[in-house]
Amino acid sequence: MTHRLLLSVIAGIGLMTSSIAMAQLTDANEIVERANNASYYAGEDGRSAARMLIVDGDNQQQRQFMLLRKDVEDGGDQRYLVVFSRPADIRGTVFRVEKKVGQADDRWLYLPALDLVRRISSGDKRTSFVGSHFFYEDISGRDLAEDTHELIETNADYYVIESTPRDPGSVEFAAFQTWIDRDTMLPMRTEYRRDNGEIYRRMEVTEVEVIDGYPTGTEVRMSDLDSGGYTITQFAFSEYDIGLPDNIFSERSLRNPPREWLRRD
Amino acid sequence: MIRYSSLLLALFLATAGISQAQEADWDDDWGDDDWGTEPEGWAWYGFIESAAAVRTRSDPVLNEDFTLAETRVQLEASRTLDRGKITLKGDVWLDGVEDGAKSDLREANFYTPIGDSVDLQIGRQILTWGTGDLVFLNDLFPKDFVSFFSGRDDEYLKAPADAAKLSWYGSIAVDVVWLPIATPDRYLTGERLSYYSPRAEARVAAPPRLDPIDRDDFPSDGEVAIRLSKTIDGIELAGYGFTGFNKQPTGYDEQAQRATFPRLNVLGASVRGTALGGIVNVETAIHETEPEDQWRFLAGYEHSPIGDLTLGWQYYLESEDDEDRHLLTNRITWQLLQQDLTASLFTFYSASDEGWYLLPRLTYRFSDQLTGSVGGNLFGGDEISGFYSQLENNSNAFLRIRYQF
Repeated sequence: MTHRLLLSVIAGIGLMTSSIAMAQLTDANEIVERANNASYYAGEDGRSAARMLIVDGDNQQQRQFMLLRKDVEDGGDQRYLVVFSRPADIRGTVFRVEKKVGQADDRWLYLPALDLVRRISSGDKRTSFVGSHFFYEDISGRDLAEDTHELIETNADYYVIESTPRDPGSVEFAAFQTWIDRDTMLPMRTEYRRDNGEIYRRMEVTEVEVIDGYPTGTEVRMSDLDSGGYTITQFAFSEYDIGLPDNIFSERSLRNPPREWLRRD
Repeated sequence: MIRYSSLLLALFLATAGISQAQEADWDDDWGDDDWGTEPEGWAWYGFIESAAAVRTRSDPVLNEDFTLAETRVQLEASRTLDRGKITLKGDVWLDGVEDGAKSDLREANFYTPIGDSVDLQIGRQILTWGTGDLVFLNDLFPKDFVSFFSGRDDEYLKAPADAAKLSWYGSIAVDVVWLPIATPDRYLTGERLSYYSPRAEARVAAPPRLDPIDRDDFPSDGEVAIRLSKTIDGIELAGYGFTGFNKQPTGYDEQAQRATFPRLNVLGASVRGTALGGIVNVETAIHETEPEDQWRFLAGYEHSPIGDLTLGWQYYLESEDDEDRHLLTNRITWQLLQQDLTASLFTFYSASDEGWYLLPRLTYRFSDQLTGSVGGNLFGGDEISGFYSQLENNSNAFLRIRYQF
């Protein structure tokens, strides 16, 4: 009897703890919001080195850059500074973005050989980011309000969300499904489908590390299933909550990137 | 001789690059050495480039089929210091049009922050500001139109200047650039490209080379350029001032029978921001100079109607007492094949001087190291003397192959 009581108490505590740690979410919008925060808004700010291996058949290219990010508001506007170091023809190029949820981003590009600060229009966010298989939107996040979200499955590991564009004419996909890790809330896999249900594009997080308390996808693969091409992005030397000042997100940093914040150590 | 070896080298590099790009069995590692470490000491970069540009029509005053035939090496060395950076960048090339070995020191400067909100860059440097696309109102830093028109890469449109640039980043940003000796454009002298001479009332070429009286007295022939700028909610506002000398030899000294660089003072302003689904820019400047003052105005709009296609439009006005010059420009840029191929066409059209200038171009990235470009600089119009039509016999088609390391 006591034995049984003890067991049920333990089980009860166990259940309570686990339900506190990972209460099962049922609202699709809350799930995608938390997933969005986990992948794009960890900490108040962040820094990371990134490199991309772009593979198209026999052709392999690389990109390498440092990424600085600061949130204006969690789940909302953000500032980005991307400083390229490879390959040679884009070394020294700096890209600055004021991401604005619900309206057009402000984007600047600095071309060092001409000392030229270009303003670039941010028309289509579903175009290749620096020649990779990632789109701009994959790097800085897709506005959640652009799609409707539905929770179609909850299993032991994942929430599976089906997202459908509100304006189908504005995107190349008919729908996409996202597998969100129930522990970390990181989207681990996203598959984009055509009208006929065919999956033609897939994002997979292949490595996760906990950095400064935030689970972080440190290796991500984007595959073009039509061509067989893919891009692997690795992140390293990531840090969060480093206290990036607002004023480094400015024209000054385009010409002279803020070295103390870009150091990889 | 050089012109044909340049062509041969270009073809060789292209073949080598294509075969390299096709090597499938790269090992799975990233071939990376400094992913994990900060570079220390001097970092070296550079490229070797072969370029040839063939005239699309013969030039009766210049007995030369090529506007460009050269193989060049650019080397860049930079070193990061505790507080600051040293940059050296120079080109050497074998020139088949001007026959001989040439060199150009493009950068030799020291950058350092002073305190928290001041930057100083001193030495030879490339300087740019203003909002125009290949149209300049308040950017009075030297340009190299000879390189640009004859088929060299865009980066050569900007000529280096020996200068000190002090930037203060306060509630507004203030940039002050001092050029101890006036630095004009690299203007057409008749050696590589022919031009219209109002004195001769004909298109002319060297010899004799256009040889104006240089502004080279220190410090009285110095120049100062100032910019005040501020970005408010994504809208970039700027005011500009310049005192110095005309960038082109537009004056004439009757006594010496030589062209001169008249004094030039400029005041201007610009605004740029997102609007109408794209980028809108407006810029204006008053040029006070000889022989006539000029008011310049520019309105531009750039947008991306579909992914990887960008359209840019500009209206530009140069207004003088008795004459207005109107210019329309259009830039179409289309990136294809995962952005490895860039197709672009830049069009200048001026109804007032009945002339046009087309710059079609295809650029392909064979690999991270190898890039090839083909394109043209095509000038035309009705008048012998028009801004663009005077250059019509310099129309050329170019091929460039660049290997970066």
